[in-house]
Amino acid sequence: MPEDLEGLKEQYLRCVRCGQCRSVCPVFEVVKNETATPRGKVFLAHLLATGEIEANSQVQAQLSRCLLCRSCSKECPSAIPVHQIVTAARAELAVKVPSPVKRLVFRKIWTRPRRLALAAGVTRNIQALGLDKLGLYLRLLPPGFALPGRLPRRPAHTIIPAITPATGETRLRVGYFLGCSTNFLFPAAAASTVAVLSSLGCEVVIPPELKCCGLPQLASGEAAAASALASANSEVFRRLNVQAVVSDCASCTATLKESPEFDGLKVTELSELLLELIQKYSPGLKQIQKPVTYHDPCHLAKAQGITAAPRELLRLTCMDFREMDGAADCCGSGGAFALYHYRTSMSILNKKIANIKKSGAEIVATSCPTCIMQLRHGLAAHGCKTDVVHTVELLGKTLGRET
Amino acid sequence: MGHQDLGVELKRIFPPERVLTSELERRMYSYDSSFMARFHSFVPDAVVLPRSTQEVSALMKLASQRRIPVIPRGAGSGETCGCLAVRGGIVVDLSAWDAIEEVDVANMQVFARPGVVHYKLNEHLAGFGLFFPPDPGSTRMCTVGGMVANNSSGLRAVKYGTTEQYVLGLEVVLPDGQVIQTGGSNNCRALKNVSGLNLTKLFVGSEGVLGIITRIRLRVWPRPKARGMAMAVFSELEQAPAAVLDVYQSGILPSGIEILDTSAIQAINMYKPEINLPSAEAILIFEVDGNPAGVAWEGQQIAEIVGRRAVSVEWATDPARMADLWRGRSVVAVAAARLRPDGSRIFAGEDISVPLSRVTEALRRIKELSRKHDVAVVNYGHIGDGNIHTAPVINLDSSAEVQRANALVDDIHRLAIAMGGSTTGEHGVGAVRNQYTMDEHGEAALVMKQLKETLDPLNIMNPGKLLPPEGGKDRA
Ligand SMILES: Cc1cc2nc3c(=O)[nH]c(=O)nc-3n(C[C@H](O)[C@H](O)[C@H](O)COP(=O)(O)OP(=O)(O)OC[C@H]3O[C@@H](n4cnc5c(N)ncnc54)[C@H](O)[C@@H]3O)c2cc1C
Ligand code: SF4
Ligand code: SF4
Repeated sequence: MPEDLEGLKEQYLRCVRCGQCRSVCPVFEVVKNETATPRGKVFLAHLLATGEIEANSQVQAQLSRCLLCRSCSKECPSAIPVHQIVTAARAELAVKVPSPVKRLVFRKIWTRPRRLALAAGVTRNIQALGLDKLGLYLRLLPPGFALPGRLPRRPAHTIIPAITPATGETRLRVGYFLGCSTNFLFPAAAASTVAVLSSLGCEVVIPPELKCCGLPQLASGEAAAASALASANSEVFRRLNVQAVVSDCASCTATLKESPEFDGLKVTELSELLLELIQKYSPGLKQIQKPVTYHDPCHLAKAQGITAAPRELLRLTCMDFREMDGAADCCGSGGAFALYHYRTSMSILNKKIANIKKSGAEIVATSCPTCIMQLRHGLAAHGCKTDVVHTVELLGKTLGRET
Repeated sequence: MGHQDLGVELKRIFPPERVLTSELERRMYSYDSSFMARFHSFVPDAVVLPRSTQEVSALMKLASQRRIPVIPRGAGSGETCGCLAVRGGIVVDLSAWDAIEEVDVANMQVFARPGVVHYKLNEHLAGFGLFFPPDPGSTRMCTVGGMVANNSSGLRAVKYGTTEQYVLGLEVVLPDGQVIQTGGSNNCRALKNVSGLNLTKLFVGSEGVLGIITRIRLRVWPRPKARGMAMAVFSELEQAPAAVLDVYQSGILPSGIEILDTSAIQAINMYKPEINLPSAEAILIFEVDGNPAGVAWEGQQIAEIVGRRAVSVEWATDPARMADLWRGRSVVAVAAARLRPDGSRIFAGEDISVPLSRVTEALRRIKELSRKHDVAVVNYGHIGDGNIHTAPVINLDSSAEVQRANALVDDIHRLAIAMGGSTTGEHGVGAVRNQYTMDEHGEAALVMKQLKETLDPLNIMNPGKLLPPEGGKDRA
């Protein structure tokens, strides 16, 4: 279980309210008043913990204005884990001010792969009938519902075999954590991950009984549900006896790495693993000609501190790799944040899109499905033809395995 | 008037999304980074976020009519409750009004609205090869309006002075809503101007008690092309200030001179053992800037001069090495809290300024006070101009410790005055040091009061700050 507010007391007491975190919070940059600052959120959590304010829907609304992007936690000179404090406060609020809809979604549906698949199927049918467009048009649905775009017909788990052998000699046996977003939204990226790992000598196992990583539950205050998911998933991997667990989703990887339930299992970040394998075995790489830039997912750069490996991979595979300004700035997605706070999310995104355009890149590579979804949505809204792909998809092409 | 009624009136001046009246929103304006704000709940009656001088002027007219206090606020990084509604009223959050309106390169000046953040202004100016030299430690958050209101400065004040040296003119909304331009009328772009009484200087450092600053004309300088840094280690505290004097007397003016005493060195080593500072009574860090040849020459001179008193001196111009040397100084404020696991560094009694010749004595006396009150204190600061940051470290949960800390802070403030110094070198007075205003200024404090009464007869402009309180002590 992640720490609760009581457990984080020493942390929030240490916040000197200096305000340095104002300089990095993407939500504050749009809202532009103190109520949206990380410092303000720590302050509210503090008042909540001491009972000076009552847990109610207003407090919940305030604390929902956080992407959990961790920019603040990283910037804070006192190393206050603001994102953990917000998460813990949300957990407390979820108990005291329960929301039946959220409970249903995050506890009952999202925790069970079958139900989630069913929900995705229903969504796909709604989209096929054009009902989503109608709903958006009539404003029956919040605008954020347009974000995922058209769901692919077949989720990844129905296309990719449970075990893919290594091409040639088996150098490593890895467990592939196929996250919900990759599975339902980007099966092509999943296929690339498996193909690339296999061609670099990995036997790839996708355990069918895997569940969600628990991040959506954590972010919405369902800490117990998240913990149960982590337990179940870690058991699966322990039984499989894999040498490493990888995921192509930066958020899943960060969540697994931080789950105490995963202690003792080796969770490796995909780009670091791929870079290591490529440097060790120097496979032939074709070169991508088009200009490519890279967007740092918060859950990779800030949560895991990984910024070099993905760039190194791109430099190896792209003739014209270019840095964009503000590559590490959050894209404004934040999972459900974009649904609840669509306009704020889009304002944050607009800055990113402007930087992408300025870079002149024709392809944006990144390694988090929610970022891909958000960036595609923004680029389309700006009538921009720039493509957004997972870094591993580019690698799939250059390793000569079209996917 | 209730919050709702006030809200309705304010919404006649401001669009609704720039008026905050809910309990929760108002509470989030009840703090700055001062120690005092942790133990009081100064919740304002409303918060507004202006975007034009007209709005501010209309607000002051309403406030005058209704006799409601108005409290200007920048980023709320202040350490003195300066931006808090200690007597209720309307907080004016100016931080979102942050346009840099014009960089006049030919005239070496910039025009900005009060909310622009210090580092953002300098980032912008860098594009023109210019900079605004004062550099507070709070550069990442504090607003230029807040800096003008507090006459802020920082590490490089040794060479570049404080904010006041750069303010050429201000647009100010007075308590009755009248708008004035100081430093020459609207189209004045002169760099030198001695006509009339210097109202600009009156408003710089006035901490929002005389009016609201809505536009700022700042003088800017060419950016230096090179920097270098020296770190010197001393086995005796006395040698450090003496070395500083040696450097000055050799005709060199470094851009910054910082000191870490034993307590600070210890705190840093506990916090980040890999920085691994040598144990010593004091460490000095010198910074010089200018053109590359000058920097190299001055660096060598400093190394040689300081080397006569120091155990060791290291001179560096390589950015990576400079960053290493600087790391100790930059983490000290935070590291202080690590002296003990349950410790918090507090911002109180943190900013005294003493005559250069008495820095050693001040540091020794603070150590004694720390022992007397049984409160750990970490000392560091801008030794180049006698401005010492004393960081008390306490457990905020213990009311006994809080009480002892308050007593210690009072002693530190009184020590500074007795030594011919000041209770504050750069952070300001606000509501946490105004009980010393009479002691620091004597009769002059009464003239300050008269000035305030002339400009603000209704006492609605940030009341309870800076000026000596009625009846001696005023905790709002
Ligand atoms: C970690 C840290 C380091 C710091 N380092 C330094 C340092 O090195 N040097 C230094 O000088 N200070 C330092 N400070 C103190 C503080 O950051 C400065 O005083 C800063 O200038 C305050 O700016 P602000 O925008 O946060 O103002 P606020 O704290 O919001 O307000 C400060 C005062 O200015 C008034 N005010 C603000 N804007 C206006 C306006 N437009 N018109 C009229 N009055 C106004 C307010 O009423 C208040 O009295 C530090 C603070 C912290 C937390
Ligand atoms: S969270 Fe950190 S950066 Fe933000 S106010 Fe608190 S101490 Fe300062
Ligand atoms: S995690 Fe991100 S969005 Fe949330 S408060 Fe911190 S900087 Fe802001």
